Amino acid sequence: MLILIVVAALAQWIAPFPYDQMHIRDRFAPPNFHYLAGTDEYGRDVFSRLLIGSQLSLALGGTATLISMGIGVPLGLIAGYRRGITDEAIMRSLDVMLAFPPIMLVLLILAVTPPSLIKTAVAIGVLAVAPIARVTRSVTLDLMSGEFIEAARARGERLHYMLLRELLPNIWPVLMVEGSLRVVFAVLLGAVLSFLGFGVQPPAADWGLMISNGRAFVDTAPWISLAPGIAMSITVIAISLVGDGLREVLDPKLGARR
Amino acid sequence: MNDPPYSSSEPLLDIRNLTIRYREADRQITAVRDASFTLNRGGSLAIVGESGSGKSSIAGAVLDFLGPSAEISGEILFEGREISGLAPALRRRMLGRRIGAVFQDPFTALNPALRVGRQIAEPMVEHLGLPLPEALDRAEIALREMGIDHAAEVARAFPHQLSGGMKQRALIAAALACNPSLLILDEPTTALDVTVEAQILRLLSRLRRDTGVSLLFISHNLGVVRRLCDDVAVLYASQLVEFGEVERVLERPVHPYSKGLLASRPPLAAASRGSRLAAIAGQMPTAPAPEAGCVFAPRCPFHEPRCSELPQPVVISPDGHQVRCWKSAGLGPWPRQEIAAIDEPVFRRGDALVNVTGLSKTFDKRAGFAAWRLSLTGGRPRLQRRPRRQPAVNDVSFSISPGEVLGLVGESGCGKSTLGRLLLRLLQQSDGSVEFDGADVARLPSQALGPFRRQAQMVFQNVGSSLNPRLSVGEALERPLALFNLARPRERIKRVEALLEMVQLPPAYRKRYPHQLSGGERQRVAIARALATEPRFIVCDEPVSALDVSVQATIVNLLADLRDEFGLSYLFISHDLAVVAQLSDRVAVMYRGQICEIGAAAEVLAPPYHPYTRMLLASAADDEPAAELTDRAPTPAASAGCVFAARCPHKIGPVCDTDPPPLRSLSSSHAIACHLDLERQLVLPRPDGRLAVEARATS
Repeated sequence: MLILIVVAALAQWIAPFPYDQMHIRDRFAPPNFHYLAGTDEYGRDVFSRLLIGSQLSLALGGTATLISMGIGVPLGLIAGYRRGITDEAIMRSLDVMLAFPPIMLVLLILAVTPPSLIKTAVAIGVLAVAPIARVTRSVTLDLMSGEFIEAARARGERLHYMLLRELLPNIWPVLMVEGSLRVVFAVLLGAVLSFLGFGVQPPAADWGLMISNGRAFVDTAPWISLAPGIAMSITVIAISLVGDGLREVLDPKLGARR
Repeated sequence: MNDPPYSSSEPLLDIRNLTIRYREADRQITAVRDASFTLNRGGSLAIVGESGSGKSSIAGAVLDFLGPSAEISGEILFEGREISGLAPALRRRMLGRRIGAVFQDPFTALNPALRVGRQIAEPMVEHLGLPLPEALDRAEIALREMGIDHAAEVARAFPHQLSGGMKQRALIAAALACNPSLLILDEPTTALDVTVEAQILRLLSRLRRDTGVSLLFISHNLGVVRRLCDDVAVLYASQLVEFGEVERVLERPVHPYSKGLLASRPPLAAASRGSRLAAIAGQMPTAPAPEAGCVFAPRCPFHEPRCSELPQPVVISPDGHQVRCWKSAGLGPWPRQEIAAIDEPVFRRGDALVNVTGLSKTFDKRAGFAAWRLSLTGGRPRLQRRPRRQPAVNDVSFSISPGEVLGLVGESGCGKSTLGRLLLRLLQQSDGSVEFDGADVARLPSQALGPFRRQAQMVFQNVGSSLNPRLSVGEALERPLALFNLARPRERIKRVEALLEMVQLPPAYRKRYPHQLSGGERQRVAIARALATEPRFIVCDEPVSALDVSVQATIVNLLADLRDEFGLSYLFISHDLAVVAQLSDRVAVMYRGQICEIGAAAEVLAPPYHPYTRMLLASAADDEPAAELTDRAPTPAASAGCVFAARCPHKIGPVCDTDPPPLRSLSSSHAIACHLDLERQLVLPRPDGRLAVEARATS
């Protein structure tokens, strides 16, 4: 995962060719030592585009997840802590959001406004608010039965201390896993949107877009679609693994038992 | 109950030099070391030890479910055959038919998706090859044998519809379904209330008499063992330290650990202010324990240097009593901690610190949207709010003076924890009032709430969750200091260390996290956290119930020390009458949300009793046969009158069902809520539950 991020950050310098440089004579070149992952229909180096594309995908996933966590975690915390009418109000309105098919919702947002990367990230992020809030709330509810919460209430602790010091640190491990899953979903959803033509616009290098473009040439030049597909799988697996790893590092009990 | 006519001298289960080791990533943990004992056919053997002593591992080794990480050496002979080397399939068949097992938690041991009868029938289908309908019929008969009157109903019920005692009966029925010759019981009554526990124990001893099944009974509770078993093996830190007849081991223990364990149990009697329980210093070593020398040496008051060097062989006395202590012969009794006599304080009613009048709390079982129901009666459908109300505390009044300890006793679900939370305004009462230091707690303005919270604190039962796992001990203790501005930031560390010293923990514990502490240590930290605000009143909600006997004694002593040192008032909540009596000046007995008896500790523990108090006492007493209890399951009934009427053995008639009993004063401090003429109650004959049982058994 670290390698992925480093690669994405340095893509500009690592990439053997500029992502939009066309090598007209080498169109549809299969993978070789010169073009590591071959070239596409315009003779652009697929490997370079992959690297550049990773920037977009990861930025999209990261931003979207940050947005959904930023809204979802506080909502879930408050719903789980306050219970009663606050809980009902928050959760029911989130249920309404869940009722829409996710792709439809994003498409709707993007269709009425001109597409841009930020807007895509926001759309995907808002979409993930409901699941994040749900997870946060259920973990909070679970913690609320703990007697240390009652001890804090017996001290008359204020709301922000309860949420930030008593509850949040105990929720982190679960959120880490959930968050990494959300990054994965965001990357995939971003690719889907690009594939459908609603996300990043050509000629930008985006994995989804590349798959989409390569679709027409699957018979003759499968590497154009295959390479970004493989890259995406690796990314998804890497992110999930990092999520699991983080949880283990963050759990004091798991660390001490060794 | 302990006469052994049904025990023969033919060994049924013979365990020789059993050693169990668990392999973990980088080390080995010895759970049981070189244990040897014999259980005769028809006999009953108890394995007693504190948590982590390895007692459940022995049961696991016999039942073969320790998993691949366990290394078992030694011999396990069952009916004369070595079983640890048997092929898994063969062994499974034998285990299923010949050995039954019942475990600690009846609440999770039954599959919630299957009817109870089906679960009892399952082993008969599997191991005896019976067709299902016949097995179901037999299951019903088995349930009736367990003392359940409406067996057919219970067989058709799902587990969540049954009470804990009922579930445990069903589990025993399932374990006995194939007529095994050995029944292994791993803490079968620990999760149950005392009165239910007494019933289950009576059931087990009747079953033993009727069917001749042998019992291997695993428990941490010495009192329970005395009532059921012939022999007892005491286990400490993976070693069998003493083995012999129950009477002998419990009356005249020889090994220092057995002595300490017995001495640290609180007696069922009111204690004076100065008295403390005998305690075993230190804590049980977590594995790996020293390989050489005596495992108990570091905590032993009779310890001398040679103890840690010599390997401890088992010494067998002429009467078959086995002890693993080389100097056991000449040891005196366990030393008691004596404290200079303190004048008994006198409390007057006028100067109460906490004053509770007519307090009630009703829970809405259906809250929020769930309370709305669609009503179809009366013409057109309507939505109506129909909450289902569940009274938890009902019209309770009492007062606690400064420096006084009020004990609150009752079984699970009687509302005692709710009452404690009401006093601290952690819950809002439905009716009545709580006055603290003259001010109505429910109407405290927000600026007065802080000082109230500072002066009234709480200690909880569950040592696993009462400390935030993400905060170190120091952080947890500093927080109240910062919140109430009790110490300047620079002095806080000093103050934290002083608090740790108060609860007898080393100052270095400041840096530790809860998961690095033992249960007793966590409870000490929780007590220190409550003390940090310099409170005058502490609600102790079952603070020792989750702890082992020897740890329990040290915590009770600590609470008594703190009470005397700082003049604290406690509301001490527990289900254990003996623990409550040890610490309390006055005791209130609670049943289904109401106080049925309240008075000075000595008055409550002596006649005249409320029938429920008497039942509790009979259940808790070790040797006195609990004559008021049959081994039959009580049938719950709703009542408009006395809450206890449905279970009361002294019920006098319809008046008990229709009129709530008045709380009548017997002395200036003692009051009982009962219709009975309490002076006459003393001479009431005891209904003989035992006779009824025997009549059943022969019919």
